[in-house]
Amino acid sequence: MFNLLTAERIKLLRSRKLWIAFLIFALLPIIQVANSKMTVHYGTELVQATDTVINGATGILMMEKNGLTILLVICAFIGFSVGEEFHNGTIRNALSLGRSRTHYYLSKLVIASLLTFVGVMVMTVMGMLSFSVVFGFGEVANIPHYYWFAVKTFITLYFLLLSNASIYVMISFLSKNSSISLIWSFLYTIATGFGAGIFQQTEHFKQVTYWFTESFLFYSDFASPTDIAKYPEMLVVSLITIVVSSTIGILLFKRADIK
Amino acid sequence: MSDTILKATNVSKIYGKQKALDKVTIEMKRGMIYGLIGENGAGKSTFMRTIMGLLSIDEGDIELFGESGKKGLQLARRRMGQSIETPALYPELTARDNLRVQAANGGVSEREIDHLLRLMGIEGTGKKKVKNFSLGMRQRLAIASTLITNPEFLILDEPTNGLDPSGIVEMREIIQRLVHERGITVLLSSHLLDELSQIATHYGILHKGKLVKELSKEELANETRQYIELETTAVQKAVIVLDELGISDYEVVHSTGIHIYERLDDVARINRALVLANVNVTRVGTTRQKLEDYFLQLTGGTTNV
Repeated sequence: MFNLLTAERIKLLRSRKLWIAFLIFALLPIIQVANSKMTVHYGTELVQATDTVINGATGILMMEKNGLTILLVICAFIGFSVGEEFHNGTIRNALSLGRSRTHYYLSKLVIASLLTFVGVMVMTVMGMLSFSVVFGFGEVANIPHYYWFAVKTFITLYFLLLSNASIYVMISFLSKNSSISLIWSFLYTIATGFGAGIFQQTEHFKQVTYWFTESFLFYSDFASPTDIAKYPEMLVVSLITIVVSSTIGILLFKRADIK
Repeated sequence: MSDTILKATNVSKIYGKQKALDKVTIEMKRGMIYGLIGENGAGKSTFMRTIMGLLSIDEGDIELFGESGKKGLQLARRRMGQSIETPALYPELTARDNLRVQAANGGVSEREIDHLLRLMGIEGTGKKKVKNFSLGMRQRLAIASTLITNPEFLILDEPTNGLDPSGIVEMREIIQRLVHERGITVLLSSHLLDELSQIATHYGILHKGKLVKELSKEELANETRQYIELETTAVQKAVIVLDELGISDYEVVHSTGIHIYERLDDVARINRALVLANVNVTRVGTTRQKLEDYFLQLTGGTTNV
């Protein structure tokens, strides 16, 4: 497993896709703070409930504000990273050396987790810094212990995103092709993200939508005490998603023929 | 140390109703260069992939270095190297980085990288990315990549694919050197049958998923034996001269052609006797039944080998 991770490190450091992903994560907050500044300049006041990030303190919610963008970037990165191994035939190089398929799958999942972590960390730090510079650090309304809130929120948002990354890894290994993996991952993101909004209007299906982590990500206010109380539930759903998707992915990958 | 490197017994692989491999049994001893011959779709690559664990088998047993069973095979495969069909490389990385990745995959040190780059004649590629390499350079890098883990058993599918004539000769020499210097056992396939005949010590002929014939280099030489090819407009007169010379092992193959299977070193004498008897000889010389022809005889039909 460690050997496979070392191989991944060499590939990643030379990967242009990685640096493009990080560039998007780093630049997006700067563009958004400039946009917010313009909004305020033209007389509109920023409101936390709708704008999500309005100062340095609410910058911790950058993942909530940019949920869809982050998911699409991660989905593209994972789709290419796994799909190209199949396309170039390089997956054979590791597997024919007797490397365990479970370890190979997990190494890709670990890399996806690390990319997601570093990416959202960069975005959050850049968001907090840039919004602090322009609007001051300020506070999050009705939150007495900010640092504890920040840690809990970051972890919860990270796991919500990670559970989706885990689904993307599974889709990539099952499809064995970058393009097909991108299409299915995109459809999954849109369906569980925006479909949930429709189903939440009904009494019968509302509960079902909360088995999908994107429902929490897109339809919760992470600065509201009611939704903060749901953090444990969000973490449990995220962990179940990661375990179930990885188990399915590994089992099917182990049975798959590699061309 | 086991002398048997690979023992595949009754290996079958089925896709739907089609048998890609049908009870293939092959045994390879240490030091062999085993050439797999077969037309497209005969099952060569499928067989190689099953050995490497990339494809599951539906029937039969595979033993590597005396190890069988899932765990045993997994460990044994660490002593193998492979290059199947197109060279499997990272196009965005340099030659050196590609070797570093494979060294990491195999859990071995990067010490050998410089030596392998030199061995394959690609030490000067520097920061050039593999996507800018010619197919020949990629092929060499792929071989270097298989060698980084210091394998005892190499599986090479079409290793000369895309190489120019001098590259083919060079590749042949490299494989032979690896066998002699490092004692590596090689399983390889090629579409260039005459090319394969210059390197392999043993042959297996696959046809429609079945191993139709297995033979050694010596046996193949006998099967594709040498003969004197004589072309003349007066076959009947020529036959009389051959009888007078005491030659009996010959065959009239068509109205202007005779194949003589004995006294292969006497071409000049036979020619002189024919000329003296006023037999008009248009062509005479030793030749050998081509491997392709032999292959066609075995598989019975036209092929795109």
